[in-house]
Amino acid sequence: MAGTLEQMEASIPALRRYASTLLRDRQEIDDLVHDCLLRALDQMHTRREDADMRAWLFAIMHNLFVSRLRRKKVRGLAIPIEEVGDSALGVRATQEDHVQARDVMLILGGLPEEQRSVLLLVTVEDLTYAQVAQVLGIPIGTVMSRLSRARERLREMMGDHPRSAGRSAK
Amino acid sequence: MTEPDLPIHDDDLHAYVDNQIDADRREAVERHLAVHPDSARMVAAYQAQRDTLRATFAARSAEPLPPELNLTRIVATRLRSRRTPWRIAAGIVLALGAGGGAGWLLHGRPFEGRSAQAMAALQQQAFATYTVYAADRLHPVEVSAAQETHLRQWLSRRLERQVVPPDLSAFGYRLIGGRLLATERGGAAALFMYDDAKGDRLSLLLRPMAAGLLAGRTDIGGAAMNGCAWIDKGMGYAVVAPVPDAELDRIAAQVGTTFAVPD
Repeated sequence: MAGTLEQMEASIPALRRYASTLLRDRQEIDDLVHDCLLRALDQMHTRREDADMRAWLFAIMHNLFVSRLRRKKVRGLAIPIEEVGDSALGVRATQEDHVQARDVMLILGGLPEEQRSVLLLVTVEDLTYAQVAQVLGIPIGTVMSRLSRARERLREMMGDHPRSAGRSAK
Repeated sequence: MTEPDLPIHDDDLHAYVDNQIDADRREAVERHLAVHPDSARMVAAYQAQRDTLRATFAARSAEPLPPELNLTRIVATRLRSRRTPWRIAAGIVLALGAGGGAGWLLHGRPFEGRSAQAMAALQQQAFATYTVYAADRLHPVEVSAAQETHLRQWLSRRLERQVVPPDLSAFGYRLIGGRLLATERGGAAALFMYDDAKGDRLSLLLRPMAAGLLAGRTDIGGAAMNGCAWIDKGMGYAVVAPVPDAELDRIAAQVGTTFAVPD
């Protein structure tokens, strides 16, 4: 069991990354990470030894986030459309990789939270689809459909033209 | 399905982008992309998104952690809290891992080097054995108190020193029996188990230590479960029981007295 807390410590940057896709306020982000760590310590005795540390922590954080949203204690990342402005929605980069970090966050804010979570856990955190399903407590088919919608939406917002690209490969 | 020979679904394209695809399927997707420019464009766009997102978040995660996210601090605070139930404290202690963070356990008394490591190992074993054996209603011990003479002789032989279960009847605790334990270094240790009229259990761990190690008493746990450990004259002692501090102090003193004046 040696190293459990070391693994936990090594996961903190990933938890902050994920929290920053859920919340806007920096203090709220770190509060969420802090509470997640505390909750994880308290659940340590129920944790399966072979459980993936990051997936386990993400699941705890996701549950905390959902219950906070329910109690309306926090403001999600979702940004009112009028605040987004042309700079984000109207990104007309010829190459996606020219989009600035700030714009990326704004664009992400334009996605529903449920799609954003799936997208980030898959692409940034490298979780498997099965792990994402576990973290979010949804079926794997739902993971795939949210991922697909998130990517298509992002493609539109980033200035690509999905309609001319065809819908599917079926 | 318009291409029966290439039944590639959207999910395959996502799996391709995310490297969650096996080699055979990957080849099938690549053949598909070669002849379907629309799919190829879609995959290229998704890959570009992936790169952009990863680059954006890589920059953000390079930021230094604020002090309130220092895990060592969070752990120390949690272990010191009176409201932390013992199962939780035990889980945290076990997660610390041998030698991994010995200093985290010690209440304001920073033992250095080997003594700190020995103390951490002692506490971990104390909590692990309490967690496993005190919870076992059927077989908390190997040799029962009915065979106390045999128990003493056996454990004394295995630990190569006089081992006697202290009399804790003044605190309402009656000896159930004892068992031999293995340390992670392949040494022998002994565990005595007691219970009171309510069925609450108390464990006393005796673990031989290298000569010269010395560590004063350290406490751990919350109100529902309490423990303390110390090392004296080449022997480590750890008492774990669901009792308040003052009671634990008296029990620890009684244990100390028993071993200070051997039979």
